[in-house]
Amino acid sequence: MRRATVGVLAGLMALSVGAARGDTFVYCSEGNPESLNPQAMTTSTAISAGRLFFNNLVEFVPGTTEIMPSLAESWEISDDGTEYTFYLRRDVPFQSNDLFTPSRAMNADDVIFSMHRQWKEDHPYHDVGESSYDYFKDMGMPELLESVEKVDDHTVRIRLSRPEAPFLADLAMPFNVVQSAEYAEQLIEAGTPEAFDKKPIGTGPFAFVDFQPDVSVRYRAFEDYWRGKQPIETLVFSITPNAAVRLTKLRAGECHLSAFPNPGDRDGIESDPSLELLTQEGLNIGYLGMNTQRPPFHDVRVRRAINLAIDKAAIIEAVYRGAGVAAKSAIPPTMWSYNDDIDPYPYDPAAAQQLMIEAGLAEGFDTDLWYIPVSRPYNPNGKRVAELIQYDLSRIGIRATLMSDEWPEYRAALQAGKPSMALYGWTGDNGDPDNFLHVLLGCTAARPGGNNIAKWCDAEYDDLVTQAKRVSDQREREKLYRAAQQIFHDQAPWVPLAHSIVLMAARSNVEGYKMDPLGRQPFEGVGLSDK
Amino acid sequence: MRITYRVLLVGGIPITIAAAIALAAFVLLNEADRARSGAVLAGTIYRNLLSAGSARDDFLETTRGDRTQYYELFRTYTEQARFDLRRLAGIVRESQHVEAVDEAAGALQRYTEDMRRLLDVTGRNDQLVVSMAGRTDSLVGMTDEARERQHRSNADVVQSLAESDRKLRVAREIVDRAHEFSAAISAVQLFRATAEDAAPAVLTGSVRFSFEVGRMRSSGMRLSEALRAAERDESVRDLSRLLLAYEISMTPTPDAALSDQAPPSATEAGRRLTDWVERLIKINATEQRALHDQVAELLTYSVLSSETERATQEIAIEALKRSNRTTEALTARDANAVQRIYDESSNLGTIIATLPISPLIQTEMVDAVAQWRTGLATTIEGLTAQNRILREMDATTRRMIGRSRLLNETLTRDAERISDLVGRILILGAAVGLLLGSVTALAVARSITRPLSRLQQSMVELSQNTRSGLIADFDRRDELGDMARATNVFLTEIGRREQALRKSKERADAALAELQQAQTDLIQAEKLASLGQLVAGVAHEINTPLGIALTTSTLLGDESKRFAKAAESGKLQRSVLRRFMERMGEGTQLLFANLTRAADLVHSFKQVAADQASGERRQFVMDDWLHDLLTSLSPVLRKTKHEVAIDCPPGLNLDTYPGALGQVLTNLLTNALTHAYGEGDAGHLEIRVSEPSIDLVRIVFSDDGKGIPEADIGKAFDPFFTTGRSTGSTGLGLHIVYNLVTSRLQGHISLYSKVGKGTRFTIDIPKAVSDPSADAAPAQSRQFERA
Repeated sequence: MRRATVGVLAGLMALSVGAARGDTFVYCSEGNPESLNPQAMTTSTAISAGRLFFNNLVEFVPGTTEIMPSLAESWEISDDGTEYTFYLRRDVPFQSNDLFTPSRAMNADDVIFSMHRQWKEDHPYHDVGESSYDYFKDMGMPELLESVEKVDDHTVRIRLSRPEAPFLADLAMPFNVVQSAEYAEQLIEAGTPEAFDKKPIGTGPFAFVDFQPDVSVRYRAFEDYWRGKQPIETLVFSITPNAAVRLTKLRAGECHLSAFPNPGDRDGIESDPSLELLTQEGLNIGYLGMNTQRPPFHDVRVRRAINLAIDKAAIIEAVYRGAGVAAKSAIPPTMWSYNDDIDPYPYDPAAAQQLMIEAGLAEGFDTDLWYIPVSRPYNPNGKRVAELIQYDLSRIGIRATLMSDEWPEYRAALQAGKPSMALYGWTGDNGDPDNFLHVLLGCTAARPGGNNIAKWCDAEYDDLVTQAKRVSDQREREKLYRAAQQIFHDQAPWVPLAHSIVLMAARSNVEGYKMDPLGRQPFEGVGLSDK
Repeated sequence: MRITYRVLLVGGIPITIAAAIALAAFVLLNEADRARSGAVLAGTIYRNLLSAGSARDDFLETTRGDRTQYYELFRTYTEQARFDLRRLAGIVRESQHVEAVDEAAGALQRYTEDMRRLLDVTGRNDQLVVSMAGRTDSLVGMTDEARERQHRSNADVVQSLAESDRKLRVAREIVDRAHEFSAAISAVQLFRATAEDAAPAVLTGSVRFSFEVGRMRSSGMRLSEALRAAERDESVRDLSRLLLAYEISMTPTPDAALSDQAPPSATEAGRRLTDWVERLIKINATEQRALHDQVAELLTYSVLSSETERATQEIAIEALKRSNRTTEALTARDANAVQRIYDESSNLGTIIATLPISPLIQTEMVDAVAQWRTGLATTIEGLTAQNRILREMDATTRRMIGRSRLLNETLTRDAERISDLVGRILILGAAVGLLLGSVTALAVARSITRPLSRLQQSMVELSQNTRSGLIADFDRRDELGDMARATNVFLTEIGRREQALRKSKERADAALAELQQAQTDLIQAEKLASLGQLVAGVAHEINTPLGIALTTSTLLGDESKRFAKAAESGKLQRSVLRRFMERMGEGTQLLFANLTRAADLVHSFKQVAADQASGERRQFVMDDWLHDLLTSLSPVLRKTKHEVAIDCPPGLNLDTYPGALGQVLTNLLTNALTHAYGEGDAGHLEIRVSEPSIDLVRIVFSDDGKGIPEADIGKAFDPFFTTGRSTGSTGLGLHIVYNLVTSRLQGHISLYSKVGKGTRFTIDIPKAVSDPSADAAPAQSRQFERA
């Protein structure tokens, strides 16, 4: 009714504005993206926001971890598994903005640019922007890649130094998006290369409008998107860190989809006819990382003591409220190669105290404990988890000071190895155990900036997970990963806390939204019904 | 010189001059008229252009919906002006004027084209204004929507806050009670620790210990209540179980006290209880903090919401203000003002993008502002274009109006000048003409009057004596000469005509006498003709009885011869004789009858014929006479199917001319048979005789035939009038009847007839005519009078 009235009032504008009105979709997201360049992202918050601009050579079939063609229409893999030839889709247009209007469609130059930028340190864009390409590095890409060549405008050949089983899945990951070489070139000419990541240009379904930290990221449907224009005209990520506020906004209709509601609000959402609760068992883990390179956490006894001291049951009960299970390994139980034989550390403050005494820390020690400032799928309330842990640790004499920072900075601090203890978590980006066991715990990722926030480098473990990357036989890999998990348990760089069931709340007129096990928010094809 | 010429000269000079003046005046007045009508046209054009200009101004000033009307008005005026200009172009001749008209027409063309462009531009501007208003409306609409949503949201926030607050208080209550309980447990444990060495019995017996345990129990009860209030039934059960276990563990059973084996030990039970309480405190304390955070966040959000609302409102107000200013500027066609608004609003979009506005509408607001600015930019162009057109139009108007005014003035001046000229020419020409005319008239008059008075004299003389001789001056070459010559010719002619007239009178008299003779002859002939007819009828009638008598006599002759023969032969028998005698008697009788019949016939014919032929007056009995007459006419009647009835009083004696009367009735009958009936008709004719007075007899002859057409009734008695000329009628029958009745018989005849009914002749005659001899001659002359 209101629309109709506005339509009448607007008269001539009815077509332009009136039609656009219904097509604004607001997503109440949980935090600021750390970047708009997927090459610089590791959090699903940023990935959800950033990958909408782009496409990859290959992508995951939505809702699964299967590979499907995207910018590459087809590909060939050499028999030895080290040479991949990609045949690019033609006539895929790039977006435009006030700085750039593309003169050509996507081609091999763009694919090569996107990889070389991350890989080649002398690449003109390597040092542009804030990214140190950690994900690229964590995935071992620099060592893996031997060459990326243009065969012709629409054919790219990638040579690997060794066979890599999950290579196609790696290419489907957010950091391997295809960016515009032409845009990069023009910005260099204009002397403003830093705009490249601030005003991203891609081939994806949504074009960037603006980003206001703590407020919103705004998008506009890309008119010429090669898969077809989106039903949503305007997409807004309304940044709302607090779950209760998100729910309030959702109830008021200020947003159509809300990230990670408080598990305690499940019943309220389910009983509201205008709302819908979406759940999915997440491919995730929430954990407490300990900086193994820093005393006293370099002592495995301390780490084990902490593992014993934390009452996970209380955390699951108080924070997850049934939407999660206690974790004992570094990968979720639904993932293949999960080692269920691991005997988890029990809640045993006395035993913990004993280990502390053994470690010569009977008096305990002071340390810092960082908690996540925003809701995460794997941790609905970082601060409360931290407080519970703080309480538990106090019982074995560890006096933890709670610390935190803004979400992008938080992540950066963790990757830099700044905290002694930090709450963190992970949602698989490609469904492969490698994405947990290697990316989060391998020696490559232990460098400052790497995703291994425990900065744990165990040679035996690293050998196992590195070897598992190279063999293609899944049973062989599973054996290696199971062994690695056992070492992880024994060496206890983390306190694995919980695997959560991911919750999302939507208004009931949202159409076509399907939760993604990889933790991204898929807005391609999402629309609003007239309800 | 002839008088005509001289008179012509007299009239001609002024007429020629007048004509010349008239011609000049006509031409000039035409010129003036043209100039004047040109001036009028120019004036009309001028007025129409002014009206068009004000229509254009009205067009600009009026509201959007009414523009068309003023545009139409403008078009009407300019169309009229264009039409008038075309007319004016047909009027003006001077190259300067032609140029001015051409220029004005060209300017008018540009003017209307400009107006057309102005219409387009104004239409676009109007649409922009509408769309701008629409955008503002939609902005305001969006704001309203956002505010409405925000209101709902605020209510929700309040509810969430209340709920969080309730939870918070519950958590705080639990934590507080748990802390108290924890302290109570600690007190119990402390008491037990200090009395470690004392015997349990002593310990349990101690009043102080009982007090501490009681305090712990009641503290546990309060915690239990708090937990129940929070619906933590499981925790309530855990609490009572653990508390009970702890108390039991402290109660020394004799065996237990001795064996010291009471599982669980009081210490263990106490530890479990402590752990449980600590966990309760941990969870609830963290929850309390989490709820604190939540309340703080919700409060922040609600503050932010009102900020959002305010910001949105401000944007809407700002938009409205700018929209109003824009509308004003547009109405005033102030492109600079619009430009200023445009410049001022350059960062409006950025402001909206950074303000905490509902993301649902923020993008649309930014878009709306961007579109609004685009519209504004277009409007500035439109306005500039409009103003340029207006300036051009104004310039064109000035030029056109100047031209038309100039035309109006010069043409008016021309007209006046020509009028003056005409006036002067008229006065001058009239004076000259009058003078010249007067002089000439005087001279000519003298040259005419003198010979004319001579002629007059001669004519007067001539009228007293026609034969006084011819008139002099006939040798003059002018009209007077002509008159003298004509008078002489006339005199000669009069003499000649007198003689001719006399001769022709003589000839006419002779012709008249011949004519009278001819008529008499004709009547005589007619009479003879009817007599002839009579004789023919008599011959036929007599023929039959005579024929029978002849045959009979022949038979008798033969019979007598046979008898004679028989008598001679001696063989005369008695029977023969008797038969002969019978035969003779029969024959004689037959002969007698037929011969009598013939004699009768001859007698009656003789009488009729004698009457007719002799014309003698005598006495006779009317009905006998009538029968005789009819008998004589029977041959005529027998050829037809008509019946003639006679109704006559017996023994009526008349002393008059039976011949004439017979002829009258014969003619009437013949006339009726000839004209009243068609071929084969069976008519009824009647002759009725009556005595209307002692000395008068009335004979009414009537038929039931066709009748005489009314137009012919008056002419029926005229001589030679007939409708049956083709069948040989002479047209004299009824004329003769009339003459005989009125003259010889001294009576009257009247005719009544009706077409289709029949004709009736009524004849009144005296029973005895008065003076027979005195009547014959006048009757003749009367016949002629009627002719």
